[in-house]
Amino acid sequence: MHIPDGFLSLPIAIAAFATTIVFWIVSFRKVKNSLDERQVPIMGLLTALFFAAQMINYPILGGTTAHLLGGASLGIILGPYAGCISMSIILVLQCLLFGDGGITALGANAFNMGVVSVFVPALLILAFNKVTKGRGLFAWIFISAFAADFLSAIFAGVELGFSVPTFQYGIKIAVSAMAINHSVIGVIEGIVTVVLIATLLKVRPDVLSKSSILKDLPFFKASNRVEQWSA
Amino acid sequence: MKVKGDLVKSLNRKTVVVGLALAAVFVVIGNFVFSYALETLDVQAERLGLSGENVLEAPFPEYTIPGFDSIWGSVLLGIASLFLIFTVTIVVANLLKKKGQDS
Repeated sequence: MHIPDGFLSLPIAIAAFATTIVFWIVSFRKVKNSLDERQVPIMGLLTALFFAAQMINYPILGGTTAHLLGGASLGIILGPYAGCISMSIILVLQCLLFGDGGITALGANAFNMGVVSVFVPALLILAFNKVTKGRGLFAWIFISAFAADFLSAIFAGVELGFSVPTFQYGIKIAVSAMAINHSVIGVIEGIVTVVLIATLLKVRPDVLSKSSILKDLPFFKASNRVEQWSA
Repeated sequence: MKVKGDLVKSLNRKTVVVGLALAAVFVVIGNFVFSYALETLDVQAERLGLSGENVLEAPFPEYTIPGFDSIWGSVLLGIASLFLIFTVTIVVANLLKKKGQDS
C-alpha cells in the first residue's frame, strides 16, 4: 500500500500533499485541546503496535501479499484526529528510516492510510450508533474496519490511475487490482479490530471510555466497569 | 480521586509493557514467518518497468542494517524502531497537550 517515488504524477502528488496538510493542521489543533493525559501512553503504545503489525505480510491473491493498516483501530480507540497523527508518525518514520513509501508520495500515503483509513471507520461507527443505538457494535466495527482498508486501496488506485503517463494502467485497472487484493486484508483488519476492542473492553474499559467515537455509545454508558475506572 | 489516578497510571504502565512485548512478537513473526512481501503495487510496477526507487536514500533500506546481513539484525532493528516510534509519539502527544494547556 506504500506508494514509492516515481509512481505518482506531480499534480496528483501535490494535490494529495495539500489535502493531507489540511487534515494534519486540523488534527493537531483538535488533539492539543482534547488529549487526556492518560491517553498519551496508550497513543504511544498503539502507534508502536501498528508499526509492528505492518511488518507482517499476509499472503493474499495471486501470490501477492498485503499488511494490516491499523487505521480503524487507531481511529476508533484514539479518535480520528489522534489516530491521524499516530498513523502519520508511523508513515513518516517508515519513509525516512526504511524507504517504505517515497518522500514525494508521502502526502498520498498519509492521505490513504492516515486520513481515509482512520476517519472512515470513525465516522461510520458514529453513523451506525445513530441508526442502531449501539446494537450490533462488533459487527459495525468489523464492517468499518473492512471499509477502511477497502477505501484506502481504492483511493490509492485512483491516485495511481490518474497518474497517467507515469502509471500507465489507467484508473480502471489500478483501482480494481488494488481493491480486489486489499479486500482480503480488509477481512483480517476487521477481525483484528474487533478482537482488540473486545479485549480492551474486558481489561481496560477506561481506555475506550476516553474515545471520542465510543464514549457516547449506550453500550459503554451502561458499563459499570467504565464508571469504575473513570476519574 | 488521586488513588484512581495512580491506579490508572499503574494500569497504563502494565498495558504498555504487555503491548510492547506483543509488538516485539509481531516484529519476530514479520521477520521469520511472514517476511515474504510482494504487494499488488510491486507486481503492477514490475509489469510497467517502473523501478520504484526512492528519491531519498534511507539509512535502513527494506528494514535491514546495511552490512549486517542477518535476519537477527532486522529483528533488532524492528524492536529498536518500536521503542523509537513509541517515544516519538509520546513526545509529540505531550508537546501538543502542553501547547493546548498554554493556549
